[in-house]
Amino acid sequence: MRSSHPLRARPIVIGVAEACLRCGVCCAVETHFCHVQFEEEFDERYTYVYHCLSTPDPASNQGIWLCTACHKCEEVCPYETSPLRFIEAAKAEAYKRGLAPRLLTGIIAQITSTGYLFPITPSTVRRRAELGLKPLTTEAAEELRQIALKTGLTEPRGEP
Amino acid sequence: MRRYAFFPGCFIQVRQPHLEALSRRILGELGVELVDVEGFTCCPEAVTLSVDKMSWRVMAARNLSLAEELGLDILTLCNGCLYTLRTVNQELKGDEELRGRVNDALSVIDREFRGLIRVRHFAEILIEDLERMKAHVERPLEGLRIACHTGCHILSPPEVMGFDDPYDPVILDELVEALGAEAVDYDLKTLCCGWTLSTYGSREASERLLASKLNSMRRGGATAIAVICPQCFHQFDVGQASAARRLGIEYRLPVFYYLELLALAMGFSLDEVGYRYHRVRSGEVEEALEVIG
Ligand code: SF4
Ligand code: SF4
Repeated sequence: MRSSHPLRARPIVIGVAEACLRCGVCCAVETHFCHVQFEEEFDERYTYVYHCLSTPDPASNQGIWLCTACHKCEEVCPYETSPLRFIEAAKAEAYKRGLAPRLLTGIIAQITSTGYLFPITPSTVRRRAELGLKPLTTEAAEELRQIALKTGLTEPRGEP
Repeated sequence: MRRYAFFPGCFIQVRQPHLEALSRRILGELGVELVDVEGFTCCPEAVTLSVDKMSWRVMAARNLSLAEELGLDILTLCNGCLYTLRTVNQELKGDEELRGRVNDALSVIDREFRGLIRVRHFAEILIEDLERMKAHVERPLEGLRIACHTGCHILSPPEVMGFDDPYDPVILDELVEALGAEAVDYDLKTLCCGWTLSTYGSREASERLLASKLNSMRRGGATAIAVICPQCFHQFDVGQASAARRLGIEYRLPVFYYLELLALAMGFSLDEVGYRYHRVRSGEVEEALEVIG
């Protein structure tokens, strides 16, 4: 069972959603605000942070994947709330339940199979050679694969 | 000669190798020896691996342990790599219980995190020895007006990253001015480049963000942009080109990775710094550089 895996223990985010007063400051401060506000559905009254914190099942909210962990929300929140911690906990839960976007699971597979976040394309190989750079090698990925087995990162997810 | 374990990061290695080639050359000329480390992998990237923080820590600790074996601090070219490696390094140095769990996982590959090194960004190395860098400036970039975008992950959280004020970053401005260029002020200076919007969100939102940011830079009088992170570089280059095409607006604000600007100030030509790989170019900037000579 994944939940009993010794490396699975993670801090419980207590009451972030409750502590947030929906004041909107983190998304509406004029020059230091959450960039996800540029998505059309959000404005000063219905903010991205409000959206993440108020969905009944946060893990199934696809909006959580727009957070880039920039920490601005927790820096500006006057009430010391951290929406980021809440969003990261929701992402972890989503991943466990098989709700993460395919793009993300694909990137994880890419990292654990090659050691790189991005695919090494023929253009990469050609350009590196032109520039006199060493070719990229993928042997080290074997160690990442072993780590992933130990931590359970690449175990099959629960739901599709 | 200062020696570092060189961590270019996979974005630069795979997608922008000209920045890797240039960094090796420029930092070498500044007396920074970059040691290649066999076995470094993706840092790994924090936004992706936030779905499993323990795996994130163990994989980062593995990279850190490789540099520890050589007794070298890590030098990176990327804000994202800095964020991952510095955060994990600090967490594990300060939490014995967590370090024990991470080392238990690392034992499957016979590695151990010991907490012996530091993780540095090239911009930190340069600002700490500004006079040494200035001594290499042969062609001050007078006439270039530059909007500096420091990027999010080198700034926050400040108690971990310790680079600059996240509300009012000025270090990149200082580095730009040390090259003889003018760093302009603009109101959306701390707005993110929008990387996750272009990856997981809507293209329209990413373009709206870029349009706001680029307009703000233009209002500030900028003719070019400076960054210290490859993902920000990509957004302001490829993202700007695509936003300009779709919105029918030409911002013509070429972005330069800081080490490209430094190379220009050291006398390199636009071609030598890899300008041909940029999507956004500007006659205004090219002329300004021609005038400088
Ligand atoms: S950490 Fe996430 S939610 Fe907070 S401001 Fe940044 S992108 Fe928005
Ligand atoms: S997280 Fe803080 S700043 Fe943001 S809406 Fe809630 S209380 Fe306000």
